[in-house]
This record gives sequence, structure tokens and C-alpha cells, in this order.
Amino acid sequence: MTTKSSEEWKAPLTKQEARSLLQKWREENTRCPEKVRDVWQAFDLRNSVGDEKWQILEQVCLAAMDLHDAVLIKDCLTQLDAKFPNSSRVRRLKVMAKLELRERYEDALKVYDDMIKKDESNSILYKRKIAILIAQRKIPEAIREMSEYLKKFMNDSEAWLELCDLYIQEQEYSKAAFCMEELILTNPHNHLYHQKYAEIQYTINTQESMELARSYYSQAVKLNPTNMRALYGLFLTASNLSQQAKYTSQKRRENAKIASWAMSHITKIYEDAEAGKHQLSALEAMMGSLQVNSVN
Amino acid sequence: MGELLLDPSIRVWVFLPIVIITFFVGILRHYVSILISSTKKVELQQVEDSQTLIRSRFLRENGKYIPKQSFLMRRHYFNNEETGYFKVASKRPSQAPNPITDPSMMTDMLKGNITNVLPMILIGGWINWTFSGFVTTKVPFPLTLRFKPMLQRGIELMSLDASWVSSASWYFLNVFGLRSIYTLVLGENNAADQTRLMQDQMSGAAMAMPPDPKQAFKAEWEALQICEHHWALKNVENDLIGITAGHQEQSSVASQT
Repeated sequence: MTTKSSEEWKAPLTKQEARSLLQKWREENTRCPEKVRDVWQAFDLRNSVGDEKWQILEQVCLAAMDLHDAVLIKDCLTQLDAKFPNSSRVRRLKVMAKLELRERYEDALKVYDDMIKKDESNSILYKRKIAILIAQRKIPEAIREMSEYLKKFMNDSEAWLELCDLYIQEQEYSKAAFCMEELILTNPHNHLYHQKYAEIQYTINTQESMELARSYYSQAVKLNPTNMRALYGLFLTASNLSQQAKYTSQKRRENAKIASWAMSHITKIYEDAEAGKHQLSALEAMMGSLQVNSVN
Repeated sequence: MGELLLDPSIRVWVFLPIVIITFFVGILRHYVSILISSTKKVELQQVEDSQTLIRSRFLRENGKYIPKQSFLMRRHYFNNEETGYFKVASKRPSQAPNPITDPSMMTDMLKGNITNVLPMILIGGWINWTFSGFVTTKVPFPLTLRFKPMLQRGIELMSLDASWVSSASWYFLNVFGLRSIYTLVLGENNAADQTRLMQDQMSGAAMAMPPDPKQAFKAEWEALQICEHHWALKNVENDLIGITAGHQEQSSVASQT
């Protein structure tokens, strides 16, 4: 982000707004270290926020680690350390700043193991360990640790999503699908979960999984009719299935019908968005080529 | 009955002191409880148990959104006879915490009593003793006789109108009515509030993990066992493109199942 644009969004903020903005980022786990640092440095929040100060300091410290801003990290850590000398939360921050940031991963792992022994039910410590493994690109180890972690903390949907991505990296699609199922169970009204599940099934590419993919793409479209990615997916799966040699002609016809529905829907959305003429023709050409591809 | 006039000294020496005393006792209790509270350590096993129960509940409620195979697989994980989580968990030796053998629980209970029950008894008793027998104020609307024991504790006068409030009742009204003031002064989730204590006593164990998880496991096992899987996405494509139920659809359903 350029300094000019950062001035633009910062200028009209009051102190109170800056504080609630930071709080929003903190609650939603938004990772925008530059903005956090900008807000922190633009507003002197130290004396006006009461006890929230310490949470903000932690947030700023994490942002500073993302930015490798050694001065700011040190500033935050000394303040936090002075206030909470025995806190494991501050200790974790210190380990992150002093060991993880300098890629002394083995030492960091040792310290985390030590801390876990003292406080077994602290999920963040386990997550740090997994994060280290991912940072070291030890994906199989990370997967193993993550499954161990999920045996203990089964309802951590962020962890399930992360595990799903790890499995996709390792091309273990059916296991990734398992993780997505878990996420769908926790929130069946999130169309993105359905879409991702369908994409995994589409990638597995057996006849059964193709049918599953079609169902879940449809569900995603049903939940959010403007989900373009799901519409394209629905079109692809349905037109693929309509070429399926094993099917009866009637089933093939049904699939063709779904595919044409998806295509007309996509075209309609483009038209509603008042896309230019050349864009529409490009879309038509692409649809044609997609169909040709799926014939092959 | 003629209009009662209250002595202004009652306002200065009874009405206001009760408000101020209750308020500051609440503030004091808040800080004392912060001072002596100990953070509870959560057992890993407990976390695992409660998370499993939640996951199983999700499976029951939203299982219809995942394919049948996946649903059965998960149910097997929870429920199968030999290694199912609930079966194994309900065979675990009971570790219901015993308050006599576990000293930390004893101190917790003691602390709870010191901060909540003791001031209630002491201050309440003292107020009752010092300020007893005054008519302090009047609520600005008429009330039926049924309210007399509530609003006129300590004054047994049949002829007194029910909307007059006695000093002892005024104290209790304060104890329960100052909640929003405490929230204003001390922020959310403060410990000054007596009403929360009452709620805790009533809802009791429902908040925390039940002391013996076996019962919960058994109930969950049963609920999951009778849970049937009806795939919600069976006809989603047709729903989507708006085909009305007809001959075609039925045949495709038959071939899918």
C-alpha cells in the first residue's frame, strides 16, 4: 500500500473509530499488518483505551513481526513484559519474536513443548507448533500434528480448513474431502464450503464423485445464486456427466439440461452486469471451448 | 386514609445511605473477588469430551448435508460397539470431582462464599438492624395487597397502603436493581452483581461440564443411534433449475438410491 492511499483512509478517523477498527481486525483475525501499524502510529492510543491497551499491544506486536519491524516489536514486548512478567501469552509472543522470527525453529519447538507440558489445554500453543512445521515446509509432519491436534480440539473449524489445504497440497483429495465435510457439518449454510467440497470431488474425477460435485455445486448456487465459480463448476460437471458413456440417454439429457441452465444463468449475470459486447462474445467462445474440452 | 408525609431526615439518613452502602459494597465485592480469584485450569480430557459432544450434535443436526457414506463413517466413529468414542468414554473410570479430596475445589467454594454469601448475610443483617422500621419511599403507582410482604418487609401495618416501601425492602430492591449501574461503572461481566449468583445457582451445572460425562455420552449415543440420514441434496439440481416433480425425477431418484 502506498502512503498516499493510507493517508486517505486514515484521515477521517477519530480515535474512537481507530480503536473499534483495531478491535474489528482483532476479532476477525484480519491480517493487515501495515494498516495496524499505521493506525497505531497515527493515533496515540496508549492512554485513552484503558485495559484494552494490552490487547492492542499484542496485536501491534504481531503485526510488527509480520513486518519485521524490530524496533516496534521490542517496544511492545518491553511494555507487555513489564505489565505481565509471568504470563504465558507474553512468553509465547517473546518466543515468536526471538526464535521463530529468526528461524530458530528447533529451539522454538522445544520451548513450546515445555509450555504445553505446563498448560495442556492451551490450543494456541499446539497451533504454533503446527505453524512452525508448515513454515519449514514439512507438510507430512504438519498433517500428522494437525490430526493429533484435531483429535483433542474437534470443533476448531479453522484448523479443519487448514488441514484440508494441507491435504490438497499433498494431493490426498479424499482426505481433504473429509475435512470439508466436517466444515459443512459445522456450518451448512456457507456456500463457499459447499463450493470447495464440490471442487475437491470434481478433482477426484470418478463418476460417483462427479455426481457429488454436481450436487454440491448446485447447493452452493442455491445458497448464493451469484456464486460465479460454483456456476462454472456446475456447468463443467454437468456437461462432463452429459458425455458419460455409461449413462442412459435420459440421464445424459438431464445433465445436458442442467449444463445449459448453468450456462444461461452465467450469461444472464454477465448481461445484468452490463458487460461489454466483446466480453459476452469472449464468454461464448470460452463456453464453446470448455464444452469441446469436456468432450475429449 | 390521609396522605403520609415523610420526615426529610429519613431521606438523608435512611434512604440515601442504603443506596450508597449497597452500591459501594457491590464495588468492593467486585474488587475483592478479582483479588482472590484463581484461574481455573481446564483439563485436556474435559475439553476433548465437550468438543466431542458438540461435534456429535452437529452431526445429528447437519448430517443431512453430507453424503450418506460420510455420515455413516462418522457415526461409526462415535458409536460402534468396540472402539466407538462414546462406548470407550462411558467405560472410563469415573472421575467425578470429589470436593473433599480436591482441595482446590474446597477453596473455590470458600472464596465463592466469602465474596457472595457472607456480605449478603452480614450487610443485609446489619441494614435490617440499623435501619429497621422506616417507611422510606413510595412507588408512584397503586399496588395490590399481595405486594405488601415484598415491599413492606419489617413493617406489619395492615392499614398502610401497599405502594409504600420499607427500609429493608428498599435494601433488597437496591441489591437486585443496581445491576445496570454496575455494568456502567465496572464494565460487563463484573462480579458485583448478586443476581448473577442467583442465576448460577438455578441453572447450576448446565453451564459447566456436567460432573459425570457418562450420562451425557449415553444420551448422545442414543440420540445418534436413532438418527437417520436423509440426504438434503438429493434433488438439489432439479430444485435449482425448477423442474417440477414428475416422472423423470422419480426415475432418477430410484436409480440413485
